[in-house]
Amino acid sequence: MSARRSRSRQAGAARITDEQIDDLMSKLQAILPEARLGRNDRVSAAKVLQETCSYIRSLHREMDDLSERLSELLSTTEMSSAQAAVVRSLLM
Amino acid sequence: MTVSDAVGEAVAWGGGERKRKFGSEPLPAKWRTEGEQRIYSSKLIDALLRVRRSSASAPSALPSDHVRSREVRRAADRVLAVSARGRTRWSRAILLGRTLRRRVRQRAGCPKPASAAYVTRAAAERRKSPAVEKKTRVLGRLVPGCRKLPLPSLLEEASDYIMALEMQVRAMSAIDEAFSTAGGAPSSPTHVDSM
Repeated sequence: MSARRSRSRQAGAARITDEQIDDLMSKLQAILPEARLGRNDRVSAAKVLQETCSYIRSLHREMDDLSERLSELLSTTEMSSAQAAVVRSLLM
Repeated sequence: MTVSDAVGEAVAWGGGERKRKFGSEPLPAKWRTEGEQRIYSSKLIDALLRVRRSSASAPSALPSDHVRSREVRRAADRVLAVSARGRTRWSRAILLGRTLRRRVRQRAGCPKPASAAYVTRAAAERRKSPAVEKKTRVLGRLVPGCRKLPLPSLLEEASDYIMALEMQVRAMSAIDEAFSTAGGAPSSPTHVDSM
């Protein structure tokens, strides 16, 4: 992005409107689990951001727990190639 | 897989797909497809078996439980970032070790998503309550590589990141189950809500 281009745009109105931000906020609200914010009620931007942060943190914690379990399983299991094949077949 | 390999693979995927489709904007909905999860699971298993083999061949450095668990987590994140095909900031940040010291230069001709359009500093800060600003900063720290993003881009990255994380959790839970079953160990009930 050239400096010249930036300066000329600075003179005009911002390209991102409140409407667009509202739109992105409601898209985010739609992604969050229903229990957190409901689906249709208008929720404040601050609340959406708060629940988003809280949800990401809980997903991170879940990943840490799952990683811990998996690392234990990997270290205790004698993973032969036959068993690896079983694992794949269970998943695919 | 080295960092440069992973970045190369992610970017190569992005380039190959662009020849077939219009636009290279991130499509968060893909994270919910079965196909995506299957591909991810397969690649993650490959990565995990490699991790296991490499730690087995270095018996003198017996890793603690904590270290092993972190290795698994990191492998899971790396494979997830590769699956994003270089299209999102959070995924590129993970592949580059979670810090973008310089802006990653986008490939020539890669169209920017609309929300990455130029936003004046004044406009980005105007009309935002202190609470929103504070929570925006917190969110920026939670999504890799997005500390300084303006709100609209941050919201897009966060949406994609959340959908990717959800897929990651689904896949890891299934892999845990499968390893439990294959190993013959009794599997403990997972606490993951099914969708």
